[in-house]
Amino acid sequence: MNAFTQSPQIEPSRELRDTCAIVGTATSRLGKVPGTSSLDLMVEAIRNALDDAGLKASDVDGVLCRGPDDSYSHHQLVAERLGVNARFSTTLTNGGASQIMSVALAVMAIRFGMANTVVCGFARDTWSRTHANEEVRVRNETRPESMLAREFGPEYGYYGATAAHAFGATRHMHLYGTTRDHFGEIAVAFREHALRNPQAQMKKPLTMADYHAGRLIVAPFGIYDCSLRSDAAGAVIVTSAARAKDLRQPPVLIKGFGTHNNTRGWFADDNMVVTAAKQAGEAAYRMAGLGPQDVDTAQIYDCFTYMVLTQLEDYGFCKKGEGGPFVASGALRLGGALPCNTSGGQLSESHCEGMLQIVEGVRQMRHTYPDHRQVKDAEIALISGHGGNQVCHSTLILGRA
Amino acid sequence: MTETPAKPKPRPAPESLPYWQAAKEHRLALPKCEDCAQFWFPPSRTCPHCLSTNFSFQTVSGRGKVFSFVTFHRVYRPAFAGDVPYVVALVELEEGPRVLTNILGMSHEDVCCEMPVEVVFDDYDEDISVPKFRPLAG
Repeated sequence: MNAFTQSPQIEPSRELRDTCAIVGTATSRLGKVPGTSSLDLMVEAIRNALDDAGLKASDVDGVLCRGPDDSYSHHQLVAERLGVNARFSTTLTNGGASQIMSVALAVMAIRFGMANTVVCGFARDTWSRTHANEEVRVRNETRPESMLAREFGPEYGYYGATAAHAFGATRHMHLYGTTRDHFGEIAVAFREHALRNPQAQMKKPLTMADYHAGRLIVAPFGIYDCSLRSDAAGAVIVTSAARAKDLRQPPVLIKGFGTHNNTRGWFADDNMVVTAAKQAGEAAYRMAGLGPQDVDTAQIYDCFTYMVLTQLEDYGFCKKGEGGPFVASGALRLGGALPCNTSGGQLSESHCEGMLQIVEGVRQMRHTYPDHRQVKDAEIALISGHGGNQVCHSTLILGRA
Repeated sequence: MTETPAKPKPRPAPESLPYWQAAKEHRLALPKCEDCAQFWFPPSRTCPHCLSTNFSFQTVSGRGKVFSFVTFHRVYRPAFAGDVPYVVALVELEEGPRVLTNILGMSHEDVCCEMPVEVVFDDYDEDISVPKFRPLAG
């Protein structure tokens, strides 16, 4: 690439640092919620978040809510159910990177006078759609060929997100000697956190022996490397830092954000072992005026165990290739050097495409948890969102006011 | 008794028809830019390296190495129930592009990254042959 094809380094606006705050947050019921829909769950989470903030629906003038990808203009359906005419509203479609992007967009909209109070949310009803009973299970597993890719995949028996991410895990193991024990420590650590969280979908302890005994899905991934199928919604409410001072909760400041997308493709370049978290994180750190050494807790998008390991490297918590020993040290545990996914994550709490990572980051910054769930003296939280075709990434840095 | 359903056949997009026509003749052919001389994959009508639309399908060596791979244990589609565990690999061709494929002719336990491989064609029917790879002979 020459100087003209390589974009110059973007300097995110430090002017936006600390201008907005998250003033309310909540989830819906999580896990297996029969007889509900993603819209029901979304409205449930938003009602709870408004209660948390001490706000009414009529205070909201921005709605950035996303649902399942086949739900057309989900934000409109949500706003209708809230009885809100929104000044600023859309659905982002960047997979699991969308939810942090919606918070970043809310900050920009508030700063430039397009909205005052924005609700950002995500909801899915994946368990009800695919696992709730035999009928939906069969329908999910026998989708017609016309719904699959046309070529360069199905004819080889190549299906699903598990396999796509497993390609990265194999490559990382080859280059750096990473092992399934390293992946297992991530699954075990997050399960231990989930056992402290009464809302978590997974209730049973998980040992390393259980991890290795789990059936293989697409090797090197077994069942415990894979995130959950969940019915789940989460929401946060964003407003200006000035307005936040008058509200019910201690405001949590939005200190930095960044996005990057390795849209040349997951299979291109080194993208499966150096993710877009690298550039997204660098942008967020520069906006916040912080670095990895300042982060007290990380809430990392854990669609699969390996993705946590590689993102921790990309965010600079350890060097590239040293993620295995880093997680094996116990760093990710509550009480460890970098408590990570402290509510159990998508591997053990519920899978809500990164939205619950934002909720948990906010809650850790409020210091309202009992001691056994609280990251002691935490001042800064880093949150990641990853998705699309494995290449889209967004980063959010929160701090105590 | 129900029959095992047939494996899905590729349904070529208009821009990849020449790829599948070459495969039917047991040739691996990829689009090559006539301006910047680079190959690319999957087929499209614009060179992703220089945006030229001046290209043709050229037969490549069929040799490469395994960049990464995964082993399917779960049956996602009933047609593959008899194949598990089977390997899906990403092969980096000598000419540069990486292609998704199956590795034939060896146990799934012996496949490794950087392993040299060569193309072999799996004839699905008289119209469709699918490029797959096996360990490089010798």
